[in-house]
Amino acid sequence: MTARPTMIEFRNVHKYYGDYHALRGIDATIRAGEFFSLLGPSGCGKTTLLRTIAGFEGIDRGAVLIDGRDVAGVPANRRPTNMVFQSYAIFPHLSVEQNVGFGLRRDPRSAADKARAVEEALEMVGLKGYGKRAAHALSGGQRQRVALARALILKPKVLLLDEPLSALDKKMREQMQVELIKLQRQVGITFILVTHDQEEALVMSDRIAVMFEGQIAQLADPETLYRRPATRQVADFIGTMNFIPCQVLSEDASGHEVEARGLGRVRLDPAQVPAPRGGDPVVGLRPETLTLLYPGQTAHDREVDGIIDEVIYFGDMTYYDVYLGGTDVEVRLSMRNVPGRPVLDVGTKVDVAWSPEALVLFR
Amino acid sequence: MAKSQGLARLGGSEGRSGLLLISPTLLYAVLLLAAPLGTVLLFSVFTDGRTPTGAKTVLAIPTVQNYVEVWTNQIYQRLMLRSLSVSMSVTLVTVVLAYPVAYFVSFHVAPSKKSLWLFLITIPFWTSYLIRVFLWKVILGYNGVVNSGLMSLGIISEPLTAINYNVQAMVMTLAHAYAPFAILPIFVALEKIDRSLIEAGQDLGESRFMTFVRVTLPLSMPGVIAAVLIVFIPTVGDYVTPDLIGGGKLPMIANVIELQMLKQNNKALGSAVAVSAMLLVALVTLAFLLVNRRFLKGGR
Amino acid sequence: MRASPLRVYALAYLVFLYAPIVLLPLFAFNDSRVIAFPLSGFTTAWFGEMWADAQLHNALRNSLITSGSVAVLSTALGLFAARASTRFRFPGKAGAMGLIMLPLVLPEMIVAMSLLVVLLAVGVSLSIFTVILGHVLICTPFAVAILSSAFQSLDQSLEEAAYDLGETPLSTFRLVILPLVMPGIVASLLICFTVSLDEFIIAYFLAGSETLLSVYIYGQFRFPSKVPAIMALGTILVLLSISLLAIAEYFRRRGIARSGGTDTGGFL
Repeated sequence: MTARPTMIEFRNVHKYYGDYHALRGIDATIRAGEFFSLLGPSGCGKTTLLRTIAGFEGIDRGAVLIDGRDVAGVPANRRPTNMVFQSYAIFPHLSVEQNVGFGLRRDPRSAADKARAVEEALEMVGLKGYGKRAAHALSGGQRQRVALARALILKPKVLLLDEPLSALDKKMREQMQVELIKLQRQVGITFILVTHDQEEALVMSDRIAVMFEGQIAQLADPETLYRRPATRQVADFIGTMNFIPCQVLSEDASGHEVEARGLGRVRLDPAQVPAPRGGDPVVGLRPETLTLLYPGQTAHDREVDGIIDEVIYFGDMTYYDVYLGGTDVEVRLSMRNVPGRPVLDVGTKVDVAWSPEALVLFR
Repeated sequence: MAKSQGLARLGGSEGRSGLLLISPTLLYAVLLLAAPLGTVLLFSVFTDGRTPTGAKTVLAIPTVQNYVEVWTNQIYQRLMLRSLSVSMSVTLVTVVLAYPVAYFVSFHVAPSKKSLWLFLITIPFWTSYLIRVFLWKVILGYNGVVNSGLMSLGIISEPLTAINYNVQAMVMTLAHAYAPFAILPIFVALEKIDRSLIEAGQDLGESRFMTFVRVTLPLSMPGVIAAVLIVFIPTVGDYVTPDLIGGGKLPMIANVIELQMLKQNNKALGSAVAVSAMLLVALVTLAFLLVNRRFLKGGR
Repeated sequence: MRASPLRVYALAYLVFLYAPIVLLPLFAFNDSRVIAFPLSGFTTAWFGEMWADAQLHNALRNSLITSGSVAVLSTALGLFAARASTRFRFPGKAGAMGLIMLPLVLPEMIVAMSLLVVLLAVGVSLSIFTVILGHVLICTPFAVAILSSAFQSLDQSLEEAAYDLGETPLSTFRLVILPLVMPGIVASLLICFTVSLDEFIIAYFLAGSETLLSVYIYGQFRFPSKVPAIMALGTILVLLSISLLAIAEYFRRRGIARSGGTDTGGFL
């Protein structure tokens, strides 16, 4: 992967609200032109961090650099960033084109040039012809597009998006996710998105920083985050994961040997063992990496027997909660409902196939 | 929390911006309200006397004599009592009569018509208070509208005297004047009540009336309390109604303050009357709030 | 139009509220110097008599000057306080706001007397100016209440959006905040004007030798022969108040429509 130049850099950023330590030493770089997400539960500091880039929050220690320049002391209205707010912040007393053209007031271009720029911006977000409409009469999705056009028309170096999709219903949200990706590729600038929805982050981002309690737990691309989470907290937050208690039998340079309850003895590569954080050792296993074997099927790798405790039918998938290997260890596994795979009943004895490669050891 | 901090970043620390912004108004209030009130408080413990040239003035000699006079002299006691009883009667009548109207507009009027009703209810409030009081004098007077109307209709042969120049007349006048003040807080409180709570009450077996008593009424109490205070406090200090309707024979606190402060020029004594009146009102208000504190705790 | 008992009661209540006011035009056109039944016939003479009084013109002019100034000053002071209290945290905020809103719970008599005492002690002569001082005191809480409500319904991120797009705090106020708060400002001006116009006690005690409308009316009460003329004046004042209020209501609704909000019913 060619290294893109750095656009945003956080160096040991700390922020306090009175006694409350909101940002605890953030170190990260965001590259030019990437779609980057700040992901985490409410109160983790992701919005605060976003606002330090925009200039609406100051920091108490460390530095924030935009395009190589330390922006301490640079007010929000002079930074090369623009923001799409969670409430969209569309000016209700102005028309759509007045909203989109708002930031062009100080632009030295002629009125005709500005009008053309507004039209182009509206067309880019799919609102061609909406210029004369009253801004307050738009739907949520339309308002968001106006907010995007309004920000992008100023050609910022970075576009900041504060939970832009949380106010939309599911269908609209999914549609906008795709549109945002396309828009980012078309415009080519850095997008930084704040969200608490891990699915959204996984779908849209080039890289994600997962935050808990004011710190970045892991910064990586979606696939790495999903398959090789660095901590149990990250693993639990992204997607679903089964955690099986285990004992570490031995460790050396070539890997770790663990005894997992219900699964048996298994050998793990160093890549599957992130740094210890202090906790009881468990191995993590994603539901889709476990497979129910129907009569006639054999496992490619390891196999264990189990009893179905719960069946949850979802239409395209069925989730089974299965007790493993005669123990009280219960795991959830998912099966796609395709022809030849009937939904099984509670109490059925089954064989479950799994692969050591899919495990991650947390301790 | 984060947002207002962020805004202030652009103009200096938040505290400084806030103080700076409020300073004109605050300064005005301090100079023209706090300082004069403080002066009155001070005067109330000074003595009425004369200058060397014989003019009346306030001498800076501390004393509690003014307060002793106010609290022990029967005239003042009767005065305070009358003011309090008139105000309490007015408050009771006004709030009790206002509640059904507020309830009606909140529960039985279509949302699109509600602001129309409120508008109609508040219009009388915006017309001249003086003129309204005078109209009541005209209505209730010995040769006034009610009497002349009833007489010309042949219902009575002699004018009624029970309705003019007495406490009942004052109560009626004041209840009319302050009616909108009572309706609005109750209305606001009733609007805030989650309608599903009322449905729940009925679902659990209560009749409509009992649901009102056990669910709606308690939940509307903050509004009722506000209405009580909004009516009680100004009526205690009313000047015009006792003056016009009471015919000068039924002064209330405000009239006596005028008497002492201006006509008799006993500023120290007048101040003591004023402070005592405020103290009395504050005590009654606090007592009322204490009794009803369980309705003020929490909220939705 | 069901005639439920509650509806009947509410309508009867409205009748009670308006009854005295209805008397005004009734007896303003009645051909008799005595306000009593039976009615005597139609005349417009009282309006002429009322308007012929030079003192009325004087009082009217004074009142317009006074109430106009009060409306502007109170709204201005109210703007500062409302903005400060809805957007910023600062030490002593509760106390400051408490003091500013205090006149709402103080009897006017107390406000008038305290102010009078201090003004006399300092040696300021009483005039329209001192009345303005007193009226601004009691009208500012109204302005603060109306404007606070207007500021609070403003989405805070609108201001941040304006900064983000390159505006300064001052230009943001001009381009974004002011237009959206304008209905509140208009309402505040109208209501402060009305409160000041109608106010009696401070006008009575702090005007010195000058006359204001409410004091003029009070003075006329002593003369039984002047009563019909007062009815005429009262009729006009009521019509004026209703018109002002209708205008204020119109602006309030228009402001809501332009910003796309929802009508929560009424100023207060």
